[in-house]
Amino acid sequence: MAPARSATEAKAEAAPEMTFADVLRANQSMVFSLAYHFLRDRGAAEEIAQDVFLRLYRKVNDLEDARHITFWLRKVTSHRCIDYVRKRGSQSSIALEDTAEPSVIEQHGDPLLNRRLRQLIATLPEKPRMVMVLRYQEDLMPEEISEVLEMPVRTVKSHLQRSLAILREKIERSMGDIR
Amino acid sequence: MEDFERQLRDALARKEQPPSLEARVFAAIAAGESKSWTFWRWEALAASVLALAALGAHEHMVRERAAGQAAKARLQLALKITVAKLSKIQQTVRTSTEE
Repeated sequence: MAPARSATEAKAEAAPEMTFADVLRANQSMVFSLAYHFLRDRGAAEEIAQDVFLRLYRKVNDLEDARHITFWLRKVTSHRCIDYVRKRGSQSSIALEDTAEPSVIEQHGDPLLNRRLRQLIATLPEKPRMVMVLRYQEDLMPEEISEVLEMPVRTVKSHLQRSLAILREKIERSMGDIR
Repeated sequence: MEDFERQLRDALARKEQPPSLEARVFAAIAAGESKSWTFWRWEALAASVLALAALGAHEHMVRERAAGQAAKARLQLALKITVAKLSKIQQTVRTSTEE
């Protein structure tokens, strides 16, 4: 369920003249990045993004406004990624070091450290991993993540705290103190 | 902690989608629509075949019923003729016996 907004706010954000192509162009980086950061597999991420937009095409008339569309896309992509990993199960996954990185829209920080962090995030269990991706890629608050992933806020907070502790410890061990 | 969170934001910054993604989505949509159109055509064809079969069965039934009624009418006529002939013979026999 999308967070409650006043009708005026929702209408202000709605863009009735927006075509499906506009929605696709506005959201494709977000959907692809969610899947890519979660799976670390460019091909699978593209496949999931394609599937998610195909579902959106069939559903777009039921969605109220741009905000609702973004919420729906995050939710469907997250669940689709988790299902993908569960279905893949024990099948061999590709070596993380071998994957070619897609280009970043805005590059910040130390590229080596960033790469190492992404590799470590990829080792987290599915739900905590998606919580981390939604928190740090999409900058969502725990309450928003809890709506997207349909889990209690306290579970989201607990995943965040535990994942941060694990990552911090691993990164410190492998790359030295990061303040 | 703030620095570490900033580093995480940098590490998980949005990536550029593959240039082929948009074309792939539109191709999948077009394929889906052509698939549903093909399905609709098969459905229409199957419905037409069923309708024709039902019409044929109905016509066959009507023709059979008409043929049955004609045979019944012929039989009734034959029986009438036979009864009439028998009556005539009976009358002839009775007349010759009285004489």
